[in-house]
Amino acid sequence: MLSIKNLRKSFGQPGGEVCVLDSISFEMQSASSVALLGESGSGKSTLLHLIAGLDKAQSGDIEFAGQRLSTLSESALARMRRHQVSLVFQQFHLISTLSVLDNIRFQAALCQRFDDAFETQLIDRLGLSSLLKKTPHQLSRGQQQRVAIARALLHKPELVLADEPTGNLDEQSSLEVMAVFTDLVKSAGSSLLMVTHSKEMATFMHRSVLLHNGRLTMVE
Amino acid sequence: MNQAILKALLSHYWRHPWQALFLLLGLTAGVGLWSAVQIINHHAEQSYAQADSLLGVQASYWIRHRSEQGIAQADYIKLRRAGFRQIFPVIEGQVSTPDGQPVSIIATDLLALRQSLSASLSASLPDNMFDQTFDGVENWLRLVQKPYRAWVPQQLADELGLIKGDQLRLRDGRQLPPALIQAQAQQGRRIFMDISAAFTLFDTDQFTYITVGQLTPKQFQRLRSFLPDTLALVENQQQLDLSQLTQSLHTHLSAMSLLSFAVGLFIVFNAVRFSLWHRRETMMNLRLMGVGVKKLIAAILFETLIWSLIGTLSGMICGLTIGHWLLPGLSQSLFNLYGATIDAVITLKFETLLLAWGITLVGLLWALTWPMYLQLKHDVLDANSPTLRYQAERASRRQLAFLALPLIITAFFLFHTMETAVEGFILLGLLLFAAAWLLPTLLAFGLRLAQACVPKQRLIGRWMVSDGWSQMPAFRSAMMALLLAMTANLGVGTLVDSFRSAFIGWLDVRQSADIYVRSSGSKIEQLLQAEQVAGETSSWLQDSHRRIGVTTRWQDQPTLVRGADTRAPDSLMFPLAQWLGDTPDDALSLWRNHSNAILANEQLHYLGGLQLGQTIQLDTDQGAVDYRVVGFFYDYGNPKFQFYLSSEEVAKRWQYHYSRGTALWLKPDPINNDTKSWQQVKKSLLAAGINRADWISQDDIRTLSVNIFERTFAITAAMNSLTLMVAAIALLASLLAIMQERLPEFAQWRALGVNTREQFLIICCPLLIFVVTAWLLAIPLGAVLSWLLIHKLNIVSFGWSMPMLWNMTPAWQLGGLVLVIVIATLLLSLLQLRRRLPDALAELGELS
Repeated sequence: MLSIKNLRKSFGQPGGEVCVLDSISFEMQSASSVALLGESGSGKSTLLHLIAGLDKAQSGDIEFAGQRLSTLSESALARMRRHQVSLVFQQFHLISTLSVLDNIRFQAALCQRFDDAFETQLIDRLGLSSLLKKTPHQLSRGQQQRVAIARALLHKPELVLADEPTGNLDEQSSLEVMAVFTDLVKSAGSSLLMVTHSKEMATFMHRSVLLHNGRLTMVE
Repeated sequence: MNQAILKALLSHYWRHPWQALFLLLGLTAGVGLWSAVQIINHHAEQSYAQADSLLGVQASYWIRHRSEQGIAQADYIKLRRAGFRQIFPVIEGQVSTPDGQPVSIIATDLLALRQSLSASLSASLPDNMFDQTFDGVENWLRLVQKPYRAWVPQQLADELGLIKGDQLRLRDGRQLPPALIQAQAQQGRRIFMDISAAFTLFDTDQFTYITVGQLTPKQFQRLRSFLPDTLALVENQQQLDLSQLTQSLHTHLSAMSLLSFAVGLFIVFNAVRFSLWHRRETMMNLRLMGVGVKKLIAAILFETLIWSLIGTLSGMICGLTIGHWLLPGLSQSLFNLYGATIDAVITLKFETLLLAWGITLVGLLWALTWPMYLQLKHDVLDANSPTLRYQAERASRRQLAFLALPLIITAFFLFHTMETAVEGFILLGLLLFAAAWLLPTLLAFGLRLAQACVPKQRLIGRWMVSDGWSQMPAFRSAMMALLLAMTANLGVGTLVDSFRSAFIGWLDVRQSADIYVRSSGSKIEQLLQAEQVAGETSSWLQDSHRRIGVTTRWQDQPTLVRGADTRAPDSLMFPLAQWLGDTPDDALSLWRNHSNAILANEQLHYLGGLQLGQTIQLDTDQGAVDYRVVGFFYDYGNPKFQFYLSSEEVAKRWQYHYSRGTALWLKPDPINNDTKSWQQVKKSLLAAGINRADWISQDDIRTLSVNIFERTFAITAAMNSLTLMVAAIALLASLLAIMQERLPEFAQWRALGVNTREQFLIICCPLLIFVVTAWLLAIPLGAVLSWLLIHKLNIVSFGWSMPMLWNMTPAWQLGGLVLVIVIATLLLSLLQLRRRLPDALAELGELS
């Protein structure tokens, strides 16, 4: 489903060029989950953004669901993100002017893909039933993160890209959210690529990879 | 104050030069427009102080013919021979270009003027001073020798497309002498020439009047005793009259400039709000590091001081430029309305600079106070909270609406008590600001209404509308600025349209004759007598109306008493605004049949305090005579008081009345019934010895009048356009600020799969809702503004009324124009977004 070959990305810095991804190759199957580990600044988020088509690599190929990202136009990339990929960020980025329910339905509305039964399941499992009419600024950070997860899964994307989704939560809450998150990803039939610092969080995934010095290695 | 704090705060502008630019732009636009009007108003006042100085000679008196017939050359020569050296003959007249533009001519005896000035100034000034005035002896000689020279001010030359040596061709085929392009003090838009050239041009042998320079009391007595009975020595009160007459126009301009300043201030308000908002993190960090609120306030006040100095300087530079640009329009307005001329070169006074700095500082402090209060009143960590920001926005909306109420109540009371133009403008200001402060509440209402209109299942549609809540803080000030600009545009536009319509309708009635003959004296009388004797058999004359008049003063104001043929076609349709009796005809019948019945212009009612039926006393040559006011007539644009009596009554009471021209109604052409008998009348007039320059057709006088009208209001149109332009800048500033502030959010949406079209719609939809709401409010507000301007301020300021002409076409046109502005600013800001979005998308990782 996702295939990355010889991906290279560097950034121009005052001291010279800094290579954050150096000939990365990586494969991911449908309905699988992978934890992307690495230190701060190792290039984890950059890799995630390249896969989502938010940034462009200097060389190499990313192929997702049979499409080579480097050949897609900006609007085709937006279409891909809309229908096939979901992103979950540490900062949630909920739409403050919409209710919780509208936020949950937002991406599903964008791609016109609704599943009422799955929506009920998501809301129940994430404990959002009593919050549906509230607005995001009336919620706690943990509740906001649950809404962001529901939004990312409702339209059952093929791939969920999560950038430290529990980074803003305490340890106990993180574990609770992660358990529900991975379970729901499985119910949606989606794949999950999750950036995390925590090895404990990585245990929720099928496998883990480590990004270090621009290179990707498998973690046993 | 700590330098490090200041550096930390000011470094923001290095990273966000756009904000600095818009802050500067707002200050420059606001201060520029305000100071431009201040500069030209002050300049005009200075010019009035030198009113009627002619090439360095200040007129203390004028010698005029008691019947305004013109002064014979023999009378002037006698005076010169009697030793009066400080008198100069003047011929004044107006000609029109082929396209109907009026051009004023003033001519004097340059030879006498040179001798007199050289003699009187030689003690204190260099010998060649006079030649310097004329730009050298050679130029001066050219002016007084055939073919003479027409001395055209640069600005007028540019407008007429004249270069040195060109001869301006006139509408009636005559030509002016070759042009000499050079402006002099007090020349205004008039063309100077030597008296000999004017004799030829106007085909006359008489002077319009004689200017008298400074006289000692003894000289004055001698001159008075020397004058023949037919000539009168009239004191020059023009400076006083001009100051009084033009006061209202200057107040109008000042009010418009203050409105522009307020609109500019909204840009400043927005820029200050965003600069504080962007620096909230810096300010929070400074507070966390132990910097007290007082020190932060001191640093920001210092920053304000710097901005006020920069803004004042750039604003004044802009003001001088705009002042130069507006001056021809103002000069034209003042000349057309009041016959006042002002210099073509303006100067900046230190007092104006100081005042500009003062109001800039006050404006900046006002714009700064509220956002700074909001920023600092919260606890250190709360200052960044979006929840608090949302609540603060809602609270601020309510507070503004609450503050608008006392303004409306005060305006209501002022409406019933106002007596002066200044009070009227305060009333307008209160109403406009109340509306501007109510606008955020109405914008919120508009958003709720739009939200209610979107079906529940249309989530994306609802999102696009509801995003307006996030955009509202950024657009609030810009919408207020747009509302003020649109309201002023509609209000003032309706005033001018109503005036134009009333004026043209009034022209149709008052100038219904086919030809107006300016020539006085026996020639036209003899011709008319011959035609009237012929009666039905006259080949061209249908009817005629010879008007006479006398100039006097009423309540110490210049006043004209006109004598009219009460049975002439135009007298039968006299347009009355108020009358005694049931219908206007009742009043006109009284006026026709009773010699003591008098008609007065509306100015005498509204400014002079005359009432219908009131008996007044006029000083005549036979002593004071009582007259009863039977009606007030429309007299658009006339700054002076005017009465109408029958011609017989004026001729009986005033020995030295003068002719005010003769109106002629022509018979249809015997060959072509659709046209008038032009050929016959021209032949007859020329045969009677009346010069071509002495008559003007209805078409020509109408074109001339309409041209004068349009040019008079050119300055209003210019101010309206400038204010709208400032509002457009406010809109662009807000959009760019939104793009900058919400860029990470927009990038986030793109990451969720929102495409370019949706991105455009989400910015566009709320903006359109806001603009439409502001436009909808501007329509009734513009109507109220124009109603107040027409029915209250115009009457209080100028003393005449007119029906208000309201239609929706200007509102639709303005809506279209605003839409174009919105689309242009949207495109500009979206281009900026498109340029910056890829970086923002790449930075999403850093943000998360």
